[in-house]
Amino acid sequence: MTRTAADPAVRSSPKPGSRRAPAGRAAARTRRRGLRRSSGLPWILPAFIFVVGTVYYCIGYTGYISTLSWDGVSPTPQHVGLANYAQVFHDPVFWDTIRHTVVFFAVTFTVQTAIGFSFAALLHSKVRLPNLYKVIIFIPVVLAPATMAPIFRQIFSATGQFNTILEHIGLGALAQPWLAQSSTALPVIMAITVWEWTGVTFILYFAAMTQIEPEILEAARIDGASGVTALARIVWPAVRGTTIALGMLSVIGALKTFDVPYLVTTGGPNFATEFLGTFIYRVSIPQAEVGYGAALSIMLLILALGGALAFGLRGTRRS
Amino acid sequence: MFETRRLSSKIVLQLVLTIMVIPYLFPLIAMVQESLAGQGAGNYKAVWAVGVVPEFFRNSAIIAAGVIVIVYCLTMLAAFGFSKLHIRGREIYFWMMLAALTLPEVVLLTPLFSTATRLGMYNTYFSVMIPLAALQIPFAVLLTRSFVNGIPDELFDAARVDGASAARIFWSIIIPLTRPMAAAIIILTLIGAWNDYLLPLVFLQTPATQTITLLPSFFVSQFSDDQTKVAAASVITAIPEIIAYLCLQRLFERGLTAGALK
Repeated sequence: MTRTAADPAVRSSPKPGSRRAPAGRAAARTRRRGLRRSSGLPWILPAFIFVVGTVYYCIGYTGYISTLSWDGVSPTPQHVGLANYAQVFHDPVFWDTIRHTVVFFAVTFTVQTAIGFSFAALLHSKVRLPNLYKVIIFIPVVLAPATMAPIFRQIFSATGQFNTILEHIGLGALAQPWLAQSSTALPVIMAITVWEWTGVTFILYFAAMTQIEPEILEAARIDGASGVTALARIVWPAVRGTTIALGMLSVIGALKTFDVPYLVTTGGPNFATEFLGTFIYRVSIPQAEVGYGAALSIMLLILALGGALAFGLRGTRRS
Repeated sequence: MFETRRLSSKIVLQLVLTIMVIPYLFPLIAMVQESLAGQGAGNYKAVWAVGVVPEFFRNSAIIAAGVIVIVYCLTMLAAFGFSKLHIRGREIYFWMMLAALTLPEVVLLTPLFSTATRLGMYNTYFSVMIPLAALQIPFAVLLTRSFVNGIPDELFDAARVDGASAARIFWSIIIPLTRPMAAAIIILTLIGAWNDYLLPLVFLQTPATQTITLLPSFFVSQFSDDQTKVAAASVITAIPEIIAYLCLQRLFERGLTAGALK
C-alpha cells in the first residue's frame, strides 16, 4: 500500500501544492485520533532551526552587507544606503549576465527537452542494448562539472579534438578557437551544460512515458497515426507535467550556473560568458567589493524566487 | 513508442539512436585518450606520485558522509512531524523551509565566510558540511513528507492502541518503511555533496581539507598546465563515480527521478 507512493516513477505531478488539499482534509478528519494528539513541533525543530537558522541568517546578513561599502575585512565599513543597488542597475555587466542567463535558459531547456524526449521515445521502442545507451547518456550527470571542465577546455581549444574532428569530416574551414572568441564561448558553455544534464531530462521523460497506456498508442496506430504523429498528439501532451517540472529546474539551474563558466572560461572572454553566479563570486571574493556583491546576491535571490513562483503558478493554473 | 515491426525501421531507429549518443560518449573518450597521450601510463604514475590524491578522496568522503548523516537524521524526524503529528501553523513552517529550495549557494558566500572566520571554522570540514546540509534538507523533507503521507494512518493508530509512544512509532514504523525513499535521498545528497565545487573553493584552502572537485585545478597549477596529467587526474576522480553509478544504477536513476518530480 505504501508502494504507490514509494515508486517515484508513479508520480508525475511536480507540484507539492496540488496534493495539499486532500492531505489537509485527511488531517482534519484524523486530528482528534491517536497520534495527532502528540505535538510534532519537537520533531521538526531540529531541521527547521538548522535550515532556517543557516539560510535566513545568511540572507539577513547579506541584506545588511548590501547597504555597506566594505572590503570584507576592514573594521569600519561605510553605510551607503541603497547606493549599491543603484550601481547594480547602471552596471552593463549586470545586464549582460541577465541576457546570458535568459539565452542560456531558453537554449539549454529547448535543446535538452528535444534530445531528452527523443532519447526516451527511442528507448521505449524495441531497440537493442537499451541499457548501454542509458548508461552513456546518464554518466555525465554523475560526473562533477569540475572534473570535466579541464577536459572541455582542451577539447574546444584551438588545437583541441573538436577542431581535429571538424577537419577529418571535411569541415576544417569551421575550425576556430571556440573558447577564445566572444561569439562562440557562450554556445560552448551551453553545449557543455546540455551534455551534463540531458541524462536527467531523459530519465524523467522515460519514467513519465511508462505511465502512458500502451492501448492508447495502439488505438492511435490502428487509426493510422504514424509514430511521429502519435508522439506529438498523445505522448507529448501526456508528459506535460514533467516538462513543466523540468522548466522550473532549468530556470533555477540557469540562475545558479557557476561551475562550468567559471572553470571553462572564467566568465570571459570580455564577459561573454559571465553569469550572475560567476559575477557575484568575482566581485565578492577576488575584488573584495563585498557590499556590491551582496546587493547582486539579493537581486539573484529575488529573481530565483520569482522565477520559481512564476513557473509554479503557471503549472497549477493550467492543470 | 515507434513502430518496429519491419526490419528496416528497426535498423533506422538503432542508427538514429547510435548517432545521437556519440556526442555524449565523445568527451569521455577524449578524456581517456588525452590522459594516455605523451607518457602513456606514466601520466597516471606522475599524478599518483604527488601523493595528495588519497587525501582529497578522504576529504570528499568525510564531507559527503557528514552531510548524509545530518540530512538523513533531520529529514526523517521532520518528515514524521510534518506528516503525522499535530503542529499548529504547520504549513507556515513547511513553506519557510521550502523557500530555501531555490537558493543559489553563491548568495550565502559572504555571510558564511565572515561567520566561519569569526568562529574559527574557516578551512574546516564543517564550513562546507553545514551549508551543504542546510541546502539539501528542504528538498529531502519535501520528498520524504509526501512519502510518509502515503503510509496509512490506521497503521499508526493501531500502534498507538498497542501503547507505542511517538518515539517508538518513529523507530519501528517510519524508519523501516521509508527505506526506499531514504536510499533516493542518500544518493541525491551524495551527488550534491561530492560534486559541489563553489563551497570547497571558497572555504577549503589546504590539501589537508580540500575535496576532489578541487583536484583538477590543483594539478593545473602543479603541472603548469600539462594537459595530459590534468586529464589523468580527471580520469582518476571520474572512475569511482562511474563505478558507483554502474553498481547502483537503479538507485541513482530513482534518486534523481524522485528528486526532480516531487
